[in-house]
Order: sequence, then C-alpha cells, then structure tokens
Amino acid sequence: MTLSAVDSHELEQVRRRVFLALFVALAVALHTVEVLLPNPLPWFRIGLANILALTALFSYGIQALWIVSISRILIGSLIFGNLFAPGFLLSLGGGIAANILMGLGYKVWYGKIGPVGVSVLGALGHVTGQLLIAWLVVIRHPSIWMLLPFFLLFALISGIVNGLAADYLLGSLYQHPAFSGLKRWTAQTKDHPEEGI
Amino acid sequence: MKAIGWVKRLTPFDRKLLLVVTVIVVFSFLLPLSQKRGSRVVVRADDRIVFVAPLAKEQQVELEGPLGITVLKVENGGVRVKSSPCSQKVCIHMGEARHVGDLLACVPNQLVITIEGEDTGEDAEFDFISR
Repeated sequence: MTLSAVDSHELEQVRRRVFLALFVALAVALHTVEVLLPNPLPWFRIGLANILALTALFSYGIQALWIVSISRILIGSLIFGNLFAPGFLLSLGGGIAANILMGLGYKVWYGKIGPVGVSVLGALGHVTGQLLIAWLVVIRHPSIWMLLPFFLLFALISGIVNGLAADYLLGSLYQHPAFSGLKRWTAQTKDHPEEGI
Repeated sequence: MKAIGWVKRLTPFDRKLLLVVTVIVVFSFLLPLSQKRGSRVVVRADDRIVFVAPLAKEQQVELEGPLGITVLKVENGGVRVKSSPCSQKVCIHMGEARHVGDLLACVPNQLVITIEGEDTGEDAEFDFISR
C-alpha cells in the first residue's frame, strides 16, 4: 500500500524462495521415483532431477542452480541413507562437476545457449566427475577410464532428454503470472520463429 | 517430421554444441578399441594380488572375498565373472574382459580383476623367467 516498489521487490524475493523450495521438493521426488524404478543398468541413470536444476538456472540464475542441485543430493541421500557413503561421494562429485560446467556454459554463452546445451554440458560434467571420484575413492586403476565412452554416450542422450524437458517446463511456467517478473528464456520465439514443422 | 521436431527447441548455438559433443563422444569410442589383447588375468583384493593366470588356459576359479565366493571363468582368451555373492551383480553385467587394461570389479566383494600384458610381450617374459 505505502511503498509498492519495495513491496514488489520483497514479493519477488519471497516468490523466489518459495519456488526454489518447490523445485528442490520436485527434484527430490523425481530422483526418488527414478531410483525406485527397476533399472537393467544400475550404473546408468537419466538424472531427471536435473530438469529442476536447469529450470532454476534459467529462472533465477547460477546461485539457484547450486541451491537446487546440492540440496537435492543432500536430501536424496538422507532419504536413501547413504549420506557420506561412496555412492554419496559419487553423486556429490558428479553434481559439483556438472554445476561448474553448467554455470560456466550459461555465463560464457549467455543468451545464446539454451536449456538443451546447458543440460548436455552438465551431463558430460556429471559422468566425468563421477568417474573421477570413482577412480580416486573406489577403484584406483586407470582402466576405469575405458568406461568413459559409454558413459559419455549415455550422458549425451540423457542430457538432450533432460534439456528438452526443462525447455518445455520453462515454456509453460513463463505463461503463469507468478513468473512475470523474471528475465525470460525466449530462444524459440526470438531466434528461430516458425520455420514449418 | 515429428521425430525431428525437438531440434526446433534448440538454439543455433545448442545445435553446434551438440555436433561438437557428438564428435567427441564418437572419438572417445576409439580409445578402448585401440587396446591390445592381454595375456594374463590379475585379481587384486585390497591392492594385494590374490590370483594370476594366463588368458590362454581355459579354467574356472573360485575366489574368496568378504561376502563369499566369486567364480571367475577364463575362456576364449577372455575372463568374466560367472557368479558372485553381491546383491547388484554389476560385475556379472560387466561382461568379458580381454584387452590390456580391461577391468571387472566387484566392489561389494572387494575384488578387482584386470587384464595385463600384451600378447606379443609374452615370449619376452618367458625368456626372462627361463633365465
């Protein structure tokens, strides 16, 4: 009523906190579902939780990316009871490497790179970080790097899938008035208009 | 047409990035393919060598780990884990190892199986031993 400028700024801050909390909750839920699903290849996971980290990055910036992904890893491992176990170190190492690459890619090519590009960078960073931790902590043998090509191929595919999912999610979120105060991600509308399907 | 519809959701930069990454991934597959065939299998438990055998000789061995007995099968110049007491059976799914540097690991049972030595280096080694 009195200072509408301050109020709207504060409102934006509160919104940011609420949505980041929701993103973390959704990321934990997606991660839990993914872990519980039967998986023929226990070493390969799509990493659906990263969809929310990407959404946070493109809505609220690099700091939000770190908040969502590190919270997800901590809460996720609390749920499955492997906090500070080797599996947790693998997640954390992969997560940190992925975040560094995603943050760098987003910052360096700001405005040019889209969710899919950032997601692929993150997926590659994730497998490389995981293998690095696996090599340092679990199996100190250089031949573990022979697995890298298979991990990279899978990361490429899952990175594209997650990136597209994040892109669709961002597209529908931006239609909601609660996100009207944000700098928008408008690659589809701006850079390449309808070219025919 | 619908199958390539997703490409539309990529920025021009994303497409270039995807192309570069795909090339890197394809080239990374040349890494294991360039490996030479190995001559012997070495099993380590806790960094101690517990078993060494030539790959040429077909045999089945039982190795004791903290969880129980892991059965290794050596045949056709390669080695694979035939059975293992661990819960996830990752080591069995890893398939066969036959190239220098190949690795099978059963982390729960603390066994690391590696392939060492090149096929051509075998004679030299025999010379060394016979002296």
